[in-house]
Amino acid sequence: MSTKILDNLKYTQDHEWALVEGDTVTMGVTDFAQSSLGDIVFIELPAEGTAVTKGGACGVIESIKSVSDICSPVTGKVIAANRDVEGKPESTNTDPYGSWLIKIKVSNMSEINDLMNASQYQAHCDSAH
Amino acid sequence: MGLLKTHLYDEHVKLGGKIVPFAGWEMPVQYTGVKDEVLAVRQHVGMFDVGHMGEFFVEGPDAIKFVDYMMCNDFIGAGPNKAVYSPLCRENGTVVDDHICYKVNENFVLICVNASNMQKDWEWFNKHVSKFNCKLTNKSDDFSLIALQGPKTEEILKKSGLLPEGDFPYYSVREHKWNGEKLIVTRTGYTGEDGVELFCSHTMVKKMWAKFIELGVTPCGLASRDVLRLEVCFPLYGHELNDEITPLDAALKWTVKLNKPDFMGKAALATYQPRFQLVKLLVNGAVPRDGYTVVNADGEPIGKVSSGTHSVMLNKGIAEALIDITKMPKDKKFAINIRNKNYEAIYQTKAFVTGGHK
Repeated sequence: MSTKILDNLKYTQDHEWALVEGDTVTMGVTDFAQSSLGDIVFIELPAEGTAVTKGGACGVIESIKSVSDICSPVTGKVIAANRDVEGKPESTNTDPYGSWLIKIKVSNMSEINDLMNASQYQAHCDSAH
Repeated sequence: MGLLKTHLYDEHVKLGGKIVPFAGWEMPVQYTGVKDEVLAVRQHVGMFDVGHMGEFFVEGPDAIKFVDYMMCNDFIGAGPNKAVYSPLCRENGTVVDDHICYKVNENFVLICVNASNMQKDWEWFNKHVSKFNCKLTNKSDDFSLIALQGPKTEEILKKSGLLPEGDFPYYSVREHKWNGEKLIVTRTGYTGEDGVELFCSHTMVKKMWAKFIELGVTPCGLASRDVLRLEVCFPLYGHELNDEITPLDAALKWTVKLNKPDFMGKAALATYQPRFQLVKLLVNGAVPRDGYTVVNADGEPIGKVSSGTHSVMLNKGIAEALIDITKMPKDKKFAINIRNKNYEAIYQTKAFVTGGHK
């Protein structure tokens, strides 16, 4: 089973993707994550202005059988949350990279270097099988 | 000890089933997805490998009498070739397991038990069988089991030559032959839909699984099975039932036949004051899960969710919860605490979904 990985994104060990644009990170969960979770039925995202820390829980994603934390790829402040996806969580299954979850204003840009690139993330997924 | 594999394990892997450990077995939790599998069973037909479950034979002149004595439900009173669901109680009324017993004939009862409790059940039955004129055999290693479930069950059975002739109503059992080999077909299941369970040899099960796949039956895993049973409010041992409580705590009064002359646990159950009431709760905008705290309108804890999930048919959260009977709210107002927030939980008097069984 091949997993879809986009070259222009950065990735976390916990299977979140991050799109870095200036000092803003847009994040969501990867194709690997949605496939492992199965049918996603509930997503809860933080309020705008919430402080998030790298690797810390910043939301909840539930499939029919499981409850998982959404972890922030970086430390910073939430500047937007995708309420459309909260209302239609199944879109995360059908389009994980189109279904962004939150936008974060990054407080420490050096943390970006800790994220994996596409080929590193591919290796990470391969080792998880 | 390593995990056990059913004789269909290779088929599950071949079909892309996601394998998880369950009750000491490696079982498929899902194939394509829980939603697809639930819908297949509710609208068409799906099949489950439940070969991990235990099968005991009781044979001899006292077979029915013995099983009737061990269960709190009425087995003697059930007609020939009927199946009966019942909790299996101790002297003090607490529940060892729940099971379905099948009157295959006047001298032969098939008991089907939960995989997780098989050893405990076996010891319990063995402890009491000596006073009866019948022989108890653990046949779990000899049997494979497929549950074929859904409104198109009969059509699939006809096409594959597995439909017993004549009347074959819900909760009945037939001995049957397929390609010259014997099997037991029962009109039972764990989904609320029409369906059968096929108790057969390990060689037959592979042929049967292949035949059903060829006929377009959807393979289904344990995750969809759990959603299906909770939607129709069938209990699951370890959740609604356990070693500490009685059937009277778990909305199973209908299975406790105190007018029977005698049965295991009768004296205790006759005077038992229930500690819990099992309630059905519907939640919008969140998913209740096992172990979550149930609170009343004032936010005071009154019980725990015994089973909770997302209903595929309702697209809402559904739960069963054991409520401390002294704290049952008269106004029937409930909420479930989910991550430190109380979500309104609407009290239901009927099962969340009405299955289409015959």
